[in-house]
Amino acid sequence: MKKITTIISLLFTLVALSQENSNISYGFESNSQYYLDDSKTGDFLFSDRFRSNNYFKIDYTNNNFYVGLQTESYEPSALLNYSPNLDKTNIGLFYLGYKTEKLNLTVGHFYEQFGSGLILRSWEDRQLGVNNALRGARVKFSPKEYLHFTGLYAKQRKGFDVSKGEIYGLNSDIDLSSAFKIENSSLNAGFSYVGRKQDVTNTDLDINNLTNLFSSRLEYSKDNFYSNIEYVSKGNDAVFIANQIRNVKKGDALLFNFGYAKKGLGINATFRRMENMNLYSEREATGNIYNESVVNYIPALTKQHDYLLTNIYVYQAQPQVSFQDPSLLKSGEIGGQIDFYYNVKKGTSLGGKYGAKIAINSSFWYGLKGDYNFTGFDYDTDFLAFGEKYFTDFSIEIRKKWSKQLSSIFYYVNQSYNKRYIEETFGKIDANIIVTEATYKLGKGRSVRFEGQFLATQDDKKNWAGATLEYNANSKLGFYLNDIYNYGNDETSQQIHYFNIGGSYSVGAHRFALNYGRQRGGLLCVGGVCRYVPESTGVTANIVMSF
Amino acid sequence: MNKLLFLCFVIFTTINHSQTKLPNVNLTTLNGKTVSIDSQISKDKITVLAFWATWCVPCINELDAISDVYSDWQDEIDLEIIAISTDDSRTQKRIKPLINGKGWDYLILLDKNQELKRALNISLIPHVIVLKGNKILYRNTGYSPGAEDELFEIIKKYSK
Repeated sequence: MKKITTIISLLFTLVALSQENSNISYGFESNSQYYLDDSKTGDFLFSDRFRSNNYFKIDYTNNNFYVGLQTESYEPSALLNYSPNLDKTNIGLFYLGYKTEKLNLTVGHFYEQFGSGLILRSWEDRQLGVNNALRGARVKFSPKEYLHFTGLYAKQRKGFDVSKGEIYGLNSDIDLSSAFKIENSSLNAGFSYVGRKQDVTNTDLDINNLTNLFSSRLEYSKDNFYSNIEYVSKGNDAVFIANQIRNVKKGDALLFNFGYAKKGLGINATFRRMENMNLYSEREATGNIYNESVVNYIPALTKQHDYLLTNIYVYQAQPQVSFQDPSLLKSGEIGGQIDFYYNVKKGTSLGGKYGAKIAINSSFWYGLKGDYNFTGFDYDTDFLAFGEKYFTDFSIEIRKKWSKQLSSIFYYVNQSYNKRYIEETFGKIDANIIVTEATYKLGKGRSVRFEGQFLATQDDKKNWAGATLEYNANSKLGFYLNDIYNYGNDETSQQIHYFNIGGSYSVGAHRFALNYGRQRGGLLCVGGVCRYVPESTGVTANIVMSF
Repeated sequence: MNKLLFLCFVIFTTINHSQTKLPNVNLTTLNGKTVSIDSQISKDKITVLAFWATWCVPCINELDAISDVYSDWQDEIDLEIIAISTDDSRTQKRIKPLINGKGWDYLILLDKNQELKRALNISLIPHVIVLKGNKILYRNTGYSPGAEDELFEIIKKYSK
């Protein structure tokens, strides 16, 4: 705490000395919950009924210099199922740097992304408890407008500490069309190197301390057409199975995307194949449930649905090697998704007076087909062959405005979720989900929104129904009620209502929200990355302030 | 708890020192070019930065609603809206077809790893920032149906 007080005082001295060219920005976020016993789902069995996660960030710039600090406080302890490494109050991030048009130097913590992140991405998501910022030194240099280089050396943040492993990174982005003055089309290339160095002990296998990864990318667009491709190769890396090094294997990833977009119409298709593409700043962190020590970014390439019942069976990308038992052997994933957007014109029979918007998405993901040797922890995959089906999802969304006051959304999803392979447990679920929502504007910023949801399946916990009612009293103050009810569950005691009531008040860039209710346990997913949250009942309070 | 109170104290005593200038951060265009945000905002007219993402329903509702009245706004005031996508690589590929499908007329820039969002200490989207040159005049978070009218009244006030 002394350290923090000192640094904050130091920053404020800077502010006091600040002149015209200086600038300061703050952010404060607090997420707290008071957990209650629940007659249906059971008593609260952990220590500290009141738990709170708090973040205070301050950024200061003066001419070309910048300095920043993030203090985090998990007091008396962090919300349920956050990493045990996030405990009490401490400095989460600090950085200082110098920035001009061509040069950007940083020491301390920084976030970085090379290409799409397949080879390296550090980022923060407070809801997920992810903060894998790098701590070290970084140089960004842009000698020309079309030429950008990055070099870095760092260890990765883990809780309030850093990883055992070291990360080396080099990246280049080249805008070829500007460099060669190509007109009418756009062509960009990128190359990256990432090295992870960590001493290996206690193994007879021949493993290098340094694991090397290379990425090459190309992005092209002309008129309404665009396309990009990325290939990443990973050198020999230890394969961790059940917390032990069992083998040494290479890995790779191929990402290909193309699309066509013109006014009123858009189509996009993505293909991705990955084999043994996990990368951690500490090898032992392989498969940890807190998303700690993850160096690269491998999101599930599926549509992120917006409703409670569409988010029960959520796919998670499967880049890892896993040999659970002879009937559950995995070394990666292959698949893709297609998106289609269409704007139905005003004045047509479907479009009506205000037009309508249609969005369709279809995604399909499979395991890698090949020869698997369970006892030898080895495999040999085929390049473009589809193995076991992991997940498919088809959705259609129709948004329509009926009058100046009334608008509605119709949403249908068909999902097939192979729980055995995705979660490495048991079961397979085929589900159909229908959602309809209507918003009615009452004038002067007042509006009412109603949402009805229904999930039908013969598998797992069977059918669900849900509804949401939202009322905005004005643009600042809003209230909601929602309930999802697992009425189809075979066990009567498990036919539970997950009921929530809450409200929020916003003023300028600040927002305060309060909620009371019961949360469904399961995967909480943000941006294709998921965290397991236990079932809980209680009162939550969220404060977000930006200055 | 004392520490929390301390933090709150720090915040409230420094509200007067709130940020007034937009930090200059590099963003990416839809064609993959790197540009600085400074180079994209006009020196003297009103610019509105709207932070959004393809998966954020209130953000899309807000930009849809403004899109319906954008030309009316521009008739009345010399202003430009820049829609800054905070989508990461999971959903970035959906931006182009989505904005075309919707027929939005905004300049779209990508904040691929949320560098600008973080520099402005934005936690939640939708988040709107009204600028004149690179000077921050107004910030707002959240969107409820009809709030675009209120936003326009505020823009009008600042444009005078």
